[in-house]
Amino acid sequence: VTRLHCPFCGARALREFSFHKTLPDAAGGTAFEQTYERIANAALSIEHWQHLAGCRAWLLVRRNPSTGEVLEVRLPDGRSP
Amino acid sequence: MSAPQPALRRYSALALLRARFAGERYWRPLWSGRPLRAAYDVVVVGAGGHGLATAFHLARDHGIRRVAVLEQHLLGYGNVGRNTTIVRSNYLLPENQYFYEDSLRRWERLSRELNYNLMYSPRGVVDLALSEDELPALARRGNAMRLAGIDAELLDRAALERFVPALEPRRGRRFPLVGALLQRRGGTVRHDAVAWGYARAASALGVDIIENCAVTGVRAAAKAATGVETTRGYVQAERIVFATAGHTGLIGTMLGVPLPIETHLLQAMVSEPIKPLLDTVLIYVSPGHGETYICQSDRGGLVMGGHLDGFPSYTREGQWYRLEEVVQGAVELLPRIGGVRILRQWAGTNDMTMDGSPIMDRLRYDNVFVNAGWCYGGFKAIPASGAAFARFVATGTPPDLIRPYRLSRFVTGHLLDEPGQGPFPVRL
Repeated sequence: VTRLHCPFCGARALREFSFHKTLPDAAGGTAFEQTYERIANAALSIEHWQHLAGCRAWLLVRRNPSTGEVLEVRLPDGRSP
Repeated sequence: MSAPQPALRRYSALALLRARFAGERYWRPLWSGRPLRAAYDVVVVGAGGHGLATAFHLARDHGIRRVAVLEQHLLGYGNVGRNTTIVRSNYLLPENQYFYEDSLRRWERLSRELNYNLMYSPRGVVDLALSEDELPALARRGNAMRLAGIDAELLDRAALERFVPALEPRRGRRFPLVGALLQRRGGTVRHDAVAWGYARAASALGVDIIENCAVTGVRAAAKAATGVETTRGYVQAERIVFATAGHTGLIGTMLGVPLPIETHLLQAMVSEPIKPLLDTVLIYVSPGHGETYICQSDRGGLVMGGHLDGFPSYTREGQWYRLEEVVQGAVELLPRIGGVRILRQWAGTNDMTMDGSPIMDRLRYDNVFVNAGWCYGGFKAIPASGAAFARFVATGTPPDLIRPYRLSRFVTGHLLDEPGQGPFPVRL
């Protein structure tokens, strides 16, 4: 992975983006679980990123952490820009 | 079935002399090729530094000889062979100070204990300040270290320039040298030798080392695990130790326990060999603008590293932008290396915990132990970790040294957040 496809800006270099945290498979869970626990999955990582050195939009990214393949980049609430 | 013990050749001047006349066959393989047995007292998963050290101490200190170390790849394939070989105990928090100081004291005598030259080189670890504002934080850490009985010296500019002539005091700099925190007993240890030395010593005590044997599951009855499923079949075990740095999150998933761990990549790189230039370890952490640490190996290569790549990955492929940042930092510190070429670059997977400190605890079952979460600082911890964790596994009670590293701290709030950055493995 060397680029991410920002819904607003198009394909941009990875260094423009800032990873925030991995998310559990399903929403919900206690505050403790949300804050500290991570569900490790070698084939799928669901993550919050921000296009920090670009449009500053928050993004939801689905990646395969074993291959680096980016499966999806979208806005966290599912809207299209 | 009793496995034959390999006759251990003790390394000494006399042995060298004997080998001179006995020929090459005098030397034996470092560890035996004994086959995997069906049952063990302890199965250690992961033949890296922590796994091998734990196995060694189980056998030597606690008389548990029916021990196997199972390794998915080759011995030392993971982070013990990928780190930048730096050892130090310059920590701020008391729990970490006591632990890492215990480790540094063990490094000082480990070559003798293992009868294996680990090339421990107390060349000093220098944390640089390039602005007035960075110096107080270093002074605070140094004072905390001295209160804990650890050596620390705050160097002003003149003392820093004397200690590290490679910094070229008369050269004009964009960022001036202001001072540094020096730990003289810190330095480097030959990393591969650590894996080989522990493997050799453990093997001589009867520990079986099985490479190319991946653990795929844990079999359990009621409240206790009974053994591990591996790619070479089922292995019965009284106790199971996971020392699988970089993949512990997946072990948690395998056991159905989410852990406070994300797996991130850390890169390192080495330049082509050059003449002796740097006889210490330089570390510069710029608040918010990257990090570079650099030392010179005995072969002459400049070994460099920096921040994590910044997002979870198991690929072991470093990102270009981080390599660029690290190299820029190195050239900023040592301008004359600007023309030196990078020879190799690699990356390792790091268990990043949510407070940056390790986890040494039971996992799900009473007889399953996990030694994990070393973030990017696992190498220097190996001797203390092995000794303390072996005691935990053998007696069932964690020694005081590792009690702060239990998993429940994330629930009770007794976090050990050395940089004070909150529950995020990376803040870039």
